[in-house]
Amino acid sequence: MELLLQTIINGILAAGIYALVASGLALAVGVVGIVNFAHGEFTMIGAFIAYLLFVSTGLDPFLSLGLAALVLFMVGAITYLGLIRPVLAAPELNQMLLTFGLSVALQNIALLVFGADTRVVSTSYQGATLALGGLSFGVPPLLAFALSVVILGALYGFLDRTRLGLAVRAVAQNRLAPGLLGIETQRVYLLAFGLSAALAGVAGVMLSVMLYASPTVGFAYTLKAFAIIVMAGLGNLRGVVPAAITLAMAEALVSTYVPGGGGWVEAVFFLVIFVTLTWRSWRAA
Amino acid sequence: MILVGLLLLVALVLPGLPLGEWRAFLLDTAQFAFLISALALAWDLLARTGQLSLAHGAFFGLGAYAAALTAPALGTLPALLVGGVVAGASSLFLGLATLRLHGMYFAIATLAFSEVMRTLVLKAPFTGGAIGLPVQPAFGGAFPLGGYYLAVGVLALAAGTSLLVSRSRLHYAMAATRQGEAVARVLGVPVVRVKLLAFMISAFLAGLAGGVYAMKTLFLSPYDAFGLGRAVEALVIPIFGGLYTTTGPLLGGLIIVSLETWLRLRIGEGYLVVYGVILVLTILFLPKGLVSLFRRKGVGHA
Amino acid sequence: MLSVQGLSKRFGGVHAANAVNLRVEAGEILAVIGPNGAGKSTLLNLLSGLLRPDEGRIEFLGETITQAPPEVRAWKGLGRAFQIVQPFPEMTVWENLLVGALYGKPNTPARVAERVVEEVIELTGLTPKAQTLAGELTLLEDKRLELARALCTRPKLLLLDEVMAGLRPSEALEAVELVRRIRNSGVTVLFIEHLMPVVRALADRVVVMDYGQVIAEGPYDLVASNPKVREAYLGRAS
Repeated sequence: MELLLQTIINGILAAGIYALVASGLALAVGVVGIVNFAHGEFTMIGAFIAYLLFVSTGLDPFLSLGLAALVLFMVGAITYLGLIRPVLAAPELNQMLLTFGLSVALQNIALLVFGADTRVVSTSYQGATLALGGLSFGVPPLLAFALSVVILGALYGFLDRTRLGLAVRAVAQNRLAPGLLGIETQRVYLLAFGLSAALAGVAGVMLSVMLYASPTVGFAYTLKAFAIIVMAGLGNLRGVVPAAITLAMAEALVSTYVPGGGGWVEAVFFLVIFVTLTWRSWRAA
Repeated sequence: MILVGLLLLVALVLPGLPLGEWRAFLLDTAQFAFLISALALAWDLLARTGQLSLAHGAFFGLGAYAAALTAPALGTLPALLVGGVVAGASSLFLGLATLRLHGMYFAIATLAFSEVMRTLVLKAPFTGGAIGLPVQPAFGGAFPLGGYYLAVGVLALAAGTSLLVSRSRLHYAMAATRQGEAVARVLGVPVVRVKLLAFMISAFLAGLAGGVYAMKTLFLSPYDAFGLGRAVEALVIPIFGGLYTTTGPLLGGLIIVSLETWLRLRIGEGYLVVYGVILVLTILFLPKGLVSLFRRKGVGHA
Repeated sequence: MLSVQGLSKRFGGVHAANAVNLRVEAGEILAVIGPNGAGKSTLLNLLSGLLRPDEGRIEFLGETITQAPPEVRAWKGLGRAFQIVQPFPEMTVWENLLVGALYGKPNTPARVAERVVEEVIELTGLTPKAQTLAGELTLLEDKRLELARALCTRPKLLLLDEVMAGLRPSEALEAVELVRRIRNSGVTVLFIEHLMPVVRALADRVVVMDYGQVIAEGPYDLVASNPKVREAYLGRAS
């Protein structure tokens, strides 16, 4: 019973980061209409920013969140202006391939610069846990989870309450033919893509503490985020959180209860993507 | 057509040329380039039906493992055939499951399929798992150039199939399926059959290439044989060379693999960066690929 | 030739087709009209097999084809031109037509298919455009291509979905003439149309749909004066 409870708690804590990454991707998909294969690489960049700041200045990763968000917003904006906007009118597949190329390039540039090693940001509280009635909570996951909740709350608040947020949602619900893009829409695209990258970057910072920074750390998150937004229904931002919890919980349960679970977690998760996609396609017909 | 024949001819006589001290390295690189080009040609055949697959690394890997595991019992050529058939059979399953998926959904589903396959090979009791699988050379090492000529053979088969399809009625069915599936069906094109057929031919060729690759590297690991890198190569080469053509993947394969090999020597890990950069640049500046430079108007078949 | 009994299709709670009964006689030109959202395009999608009905039966030339996939219906002689023209943009006009000619009937030899294309391209006046990429045609040419491609499948019954929409009056007149010629060559025609003058000029018989149901049928003049039809159109015009 305790094991089950602990597993569920681990699942929920992991869901925070998943929801962050996936909300970012959902913004890009919903607003700009692009599945950004390089989304996870933005996460990877965020992780490396936290790592580099930590080793060079000793800055606590949770304090570098703001800076990482800002840098990634810029990276996202530059990516949008330089790469995405020129192909907005091109066939959807070209856009997908472009971001796929960007993902491969970023991953391997990181490999060239940093090597394949995993780098952990070892803060003083990294191994710290809080015990509560037989259950234990890792401090970093708890912090990351709390921050994720705050950031997601702010994101939804922004989308619901502000004029700009309203514009973003309007564009998401009523995507125009790319040829008809007005200046306003262009600005919303830019904002959404920048925000999307910033969310990925923030998640990356958290990963650097909870997991590690490495060139390939992000790619799995692209796919997890994709699985989540497919489960939620494309462009449905609200569904992201429950879907993230479902996926994280499933992973936690598999790794705890399936013998030799570690290696199977990935397979189970890809199986979930595969089955969700194909099952939906057949049901929709 | 002429270019394709010429390239194959050069491939045939290459070992007889005075290559000097670089001979072994050159032939090894050429063999690798032929296999990857064959993989790219196979990928392109499926792409002609509008299905951009990220599963070709898995077909390649399945072919490699199947051939490696059966070669001691069956001999080289039958084992290669088994590799192709295993890959083809798996593609039938994948093709049926993904029949109604398009664009990015299809791509992601095929990627997920590859990862599941990789895990299965990693966990299966007879594949050597994470440690890897030693492989016998082609024909038990009886002919030093055996593996090389097998690679030439696979490349010739892939190029021949590609040319043949371009000139057959299947060309129109595939192009119609790609450019408007619903309309194609209403016009009488048996779209399901066309897609599955393309899947099986494509995966069979990829599996063959994988088998020869196994007998070339003499050692397989799931990370190498099923790596995303293979899938990336299979996809970037045709796009760079020119989609839906025979010359495109062939030319693209030789150029990119040469570049890749050079980069591997210089920088080791991270060489795949060239694929990422080339893919981005091609989409931005040369969306119809290399072959469009040689043709006045990009009408879709050659 | 074609007989439809109790055909129904729901999307969510909406009855896009509600117990539709319909007969098409060999050799006639039948018009299906009705206000926007009356279920005309759904009916055509059900007939050509792009949608499967929830209930009902479709018989074509004495065979039940309710569950047959679109390509099988094409092989049996059911041709269709779409309202929103969907040419294969990377193929030339000639190649577009060749797809229909090669696959419209199973195992058509290439030589036969090419002869079919030659005939149809002549009939539809597309000969000068044969080598043009379909993506580069004007709207009128696109419409012709749409029609020509359906003809290349050698249909016995041709389903036309608003092929005149967007044409200028003079162009529509040309198209009317073309449809007549097609009928005279032995093809039965079922068409959906918004332009009443076209319906009047072409149709031997008119079927009126509203809310997924057939609310009237008969010759044009009779149908046009039917109070139910007037209500369906006028009631929602405002």
